[in-house]
Amino acid sequence: MEDFLGSLTPLLQSTIRNATPLVFAALGGLFSERSGVVNIGLEGLMLISAFAGVVGSYASGSAFVGLLTALGAGLTFALIHALMCVTFEADQIISGTAINLLALGGTGFLMVEIFGSGGTSPRVEGFQSIAIPGLSAIPLIGPALFDQSLLVYLMYLMVPIVFFVVFNTPFGLRLRGTGEVPEAVDTAGVSVTRMRYYGVAMSGLLSALGGAYLSMGILSAFTENMTQGRGFIALAALIFGRWNPIGAAGAALFFGFALAVTFQVNQEAVPIEFIQMLPYILTIVALVGFGGRAIAPAAIGKPYRKE
Amino acid sequence: MSEENRVRESEQNPAFRVALGNAAGALLFPVIAIVISFIIGAIIVFVTGDNPVSAYAALLEGAVGSPAAIGRTVLNATPLVFTGLAVAVAFRAGLFNIGGEGQFFIGAITAAWLGYSLSSLGFGAIPVVLAGCLVTGFLWGAIPGVLKAYFGAHEVITTIMLNVIAINLAYYLAQNPLRREGPIPGTETIDAAARIPLIGFGLGRANWGILIALLAAAFVYVFLWRTRRGFELRAVGLSPGAANYAGMSLGVNTMLALAIGGSLAALGGAVEILGVYGNMDVPFVANVGFNGIGVALLGRNHPVGVVLGALLFGGLASGAQQMQFATDVPLQLASVLLAVILLLVTATKLVELIVGKRARALAAGTRLERGLGA
Amino acid sequence: MAHSGAGTTGAAPVVLEMRHITKTFGENRANDDVSLRLRRGEILGMLGENGAGKSTLMKILYGLYKPNAGQIFVDGEEVEIHDPKDAVGRGIGMVHQHFTLIPPLTVAENIVLGAEPRRGLSLDLEKAVRDTEALCERYGLRVDPRARVADLSVGVQQRVEILKALYRQARILVLDEPTAVLTPQETEDLFAVLRELVADGLSIILITHKLGELLGVSDEITIIRDGRVVDTVDATKTNEGELARLMVGREVLLRVEKTATKVGEPRLVAEDLVVLSSTGTEAVRGVSLEVRAGEILGIAGVDGNGQTELVEALAGTRRAESGRVFLDGEDVTSLGANDRQERGLAYVPEDRARKGLVQDFALYENNALKTYDEPPFSRGFFIFPRVMRRRAAENLKAYDVRPADPDARASSLSGGNQQKAILARELSGDPGVIVAYQPTRGVDVGAIEYIHRRLLDQRAEGKAILLISLELEEVRSLSDRILVMYAGNMAGEVGPEATDEQLGLLMAGRGERSA
Repeated sequence: MEDFLGSLTPLLQSTIRNATPLVFAALGGLFSERSGVVNIGLEGLMLISAFAGVVGSYASGSAFVGLLTALGAGLTFALIHALMCVTFEADQIISGTAINLLALGGTGFLMVEIFGSGGTSPRVEGFQSIAIPGLSAIPLIGPALFDQSLLVYLMYLMVPIVFFVVFNTPFGLRLRGTGEVPEAVDTAGVSVTRMRYYGVAMSGLLSALGGAYLSMGILSAFTENMTQGRGFIALAALIFGRWNPIGAAGAALFFGFALAVTFQVNQEAVPIEFIQMLPYILTIVALVGFGGRAIAPAAIGKPYRKE
Repeated sequence: MSEENRVRESEQNPAFRVALGNAAGALLFPVIAIVISFIIGAIIVFVTGDNPVSAYAALLEGAVGSPAAIGRTVLNATPLVFTGLAVAVAFRAGLFNIGGEGQFFIGAITAAWLGYSLSSLGFGAIPVVLAGCLVTGFLWGAIPGVLKAYFGAHEVITTIMLNVIAINLAYYLAQNPLRREGPIPGTETIDAAARIPLIGFGLGRANWGILIALLAAAFVYVFLWRTRRGFELRAVGLSPGAANYAGMSLGVNTMLALAIGGSLAALGGAVEILGVYGNMDVPFVANVGFNGIGVALLGRNHPVGVVLGALLFGGLASGAQQMQFATDVPLQLASVLLAVILLLVTATKLVELIVGKRARALAAGTRLERGLGA
Repeated sequence: MAHSGAGTTGAAPVVLEMRHITKTFGENRANDDVSLRLRRGEILGMLGENGAGKSTLMKILYGLYKPNAGQIFVDGEEVEIHDPKDAVGRGIGMVHQHFTLIPPLTVAENIVLGAEPRRGLSLDLEKAVRDTEALCERYGLRVDPRARVADLSVGVQQRVEILKALYRQARILVLDEPTAVLTPQETEDLFAVLRELVADGLSIILITHKLGELLGVSDEITIIRDGRVVDTVDATKTNEGELARLMVGREVLLRVEKTATKVGEPRLVAEDLVVLSSTGTEAVRGVSLEVRAGEILGIAGVDGNGQTELVEALAGTRRAESGRVFLDGEDVTSLGANDRQERGLAYVPEDRARKGLVQDFALYENNALKTYDEPPFSRGFFIFPRVMRRRAAENLKAYDVRPADPDARASSLSGGNQQKAILARELSGDPGVIVAYQPTRGVDVGAIEYIHRRLLDQRAEGKAILLISLELEEVRSLSDRILVMYAGNMAGEVGPEATDEQLGLLMAGRGERSA
């Protein structure tokens, strides 16, 4: 029992760390998909911003500058996705897949150009853990929840903020409307194009926070393909959470927990591969459980054309 | 009067007119995507301080400049033909198969297992292994088909999820029941006698897997345009309402299209194991399935187009090595070019800006308009 | 009603004027020098056949299309309307034929969308509900602001659309084919609401292609044909005959020559058929009917009374919950569409664009859409496109499809020619029974006559024909007997000599079963 309690705090801590990028990216995907644009490029958005953050921090010696470059890169790639899907009416699935491949190839290319070789970047200035006085002293959960980096605290705030924005503001009403019946939003005098750009741009910024946390919150360096499918897990969390911020964050936390377990648990007992499959299997089961289609925003994936 | 003229004109040589129109239309989107992609690539090379002309010259030389280069291109193209076909068949039935990556792994691990187990059969093992991979790929591909047909779960989401499941499943098998002796994780190596032979003729490591790929493409063509089931599949893909009205089963065709796609991608994994690697190491080659999406769309989901698209992608990959060697431009430029091509190849409005309104009519082979909600 | 006819409106100021509006799509002139005028407190009817250009004109007014030429004046002032926002700013509201409501959102949310009440950063939902309630009260519209739109009936959804416009202070309200989806009772309710609105000073443009409705509710009627204004008449000084003549440009609707035939054995029989709709409700509630050799049995009724489900259950594309279907005496209830087709059932669907044809298939493929798996088109696993092409070429010529090019894509044909191509496919196999659902919907007059003639030819050959149509005149001129469908049942049977009133009562579900 003592052994169990002793391992609980590190497990929780690891859960939060694994969940943080997932929560960010899932919330980002939520904005995009609620506006009617599928974003399977979350993986790529995280990867490119993880890289850009490291480059920014490397060049300036400041993690905050790194965060800004990460946000810039995430936003830029998201806007490419929006340009393709919204303005050029490209297929959203294809564009998202291309964003993933572009981020993978692009970071590989730039690693060589900037750092001279692939693999892992030099160590850079990252975000250090900041213990919140008082709260971090709570037994068991204190050190796990409240001795983390700034980005984790931002993640805590982001969940209620996103919930508020999506469900309690005029912007959120328009965003949800755009993803369901864009014609209705259009005839109400709101630009569908603009709402979708906002939605996709938000997915870039939030994914960038996730990417920055990976390369500057957990590691302080970039390694090639360091996202390792986290964008897809975030997508799964979004679906599992039924396109709801609380649900998505909850699912992301759970999947983060599953990932944490893979690093803690005795590998002989449960093979790591099966734990890594878990989020995806659960998502499929969930999709089957709620009949698949009725839950997604109705207009998702379809370009909006006036005539 | 003008209508009469039109009718008469079309009566003169309908087949030729249609073929010409189709070919011109089919090339439009890919050509625009490729050209823009190479322009962007040139800018990137220029900005990073290299000479785009010499980089592209080296790229071309590395792709087709010698028998060995051609061999490398063919070698790279072979698996992409399969994963491209896997996307194309599903697409013709109105479905997005994003699961090529996972299906490829399913085929690869099946081949690694069967190939090693049947090594004693020598050359005769090859057809058995391939058949086995067709079966496992079919079953794996049928999963999203069943989920879609009976539970309404969208195939894009489920195939994405199944990719990761398949890769993890393959890695688990490769590192546990099928693990070889030694420190490097991976399966046992298949005897040379039970592997697909090299072509020779100075083509380097290019093997006869390309022949299997071409046969698969021919099969897909005949299947889609010369069989009853193919007719149904295309009808379902173009108009579920009309197909249902005509008495065709949407569910059966949905499952079949995705299952056949699974078989094709799995066959690609098998050919890669039997022709190139001889076993599955962990990690195994990545992104063959995802690049297959680009290959299929570049080839407008037509088997001939898929083969051409695969050769282009394969050529870029092999040319990139030469380019890095000769000019210091990182070979990842090729991946960037491929990604940009994929990004642009469905951009209907962009093509419309360049060639005007008829772009919409020519977009037919690049779009599925139903969205994820429907 | 307090308000009636041109007498009171003649003096009222003009609130909207559209002058010399022209709009072309490619070579097609959708609107050609169209002018209209709307006075305050008036209901202006706009009448025209499908495709006459009514909707195009209204989309121009609402800023959805840009006209090639013409001017728009609101309250005497020339205005430019670039998008719906401009239109709303000028007090123009529109209720589209296809609602633009967001089903998962509540009524109040739908109404305030785009012009939301705020409290600080957040959306003031309570105020949205209060505002909606106030509007409902003022105009006597009964809607629960907190209800989810997805849970509302079509009639109530339409009220939400009207409320949306009123919330944006619309003074000019355009309703595009508002009655197409309504039951007769709901239509009455709607018109009562409209009268309420004009009494309050609003002005309304009511677009429809149903003559009868307009006479009861509008003050003036503008008739549009082929993109041009034919005439504007005072609703109190006209009648259906005149309106019909103006609308279609012919004195009367076509009367077809019908020869006497010998009616034979029942060939298509339904017994106590119960069929569920896609949403799981009982759409057909125990229908029995028989269609005999050499007769056309017509089914009339307002759209959405179970016709689609009945037809699909007869054709085999939808499963019947209970009851049985017989084809030439054989029980085919458990057989699918393909098997019924092989047993001589032809089926012309109501939606040629989405059901009748695969738009991106060539005509030869469409011609083989049902017989692709039978010789000579198929043997074993394989199909023979060359044979399909040859057969299609003959067929298309025989049915006067233009162009008669088997390689042409279906989508490149006009509506009339598409319908003829379907007829060519369905009738060429010499079927014994023909189910024709809205066979002339949205096709030109020439094609209508052609299709009618073909159906009568089949009747003369001793085929059994079931004709389901929303066009009363079509049912009456072709059928030997008429059943009227209402709420999933047959409300009654009448002969082709039945009056509009008799049919109308049955269609409203108020008839006694007559023989």
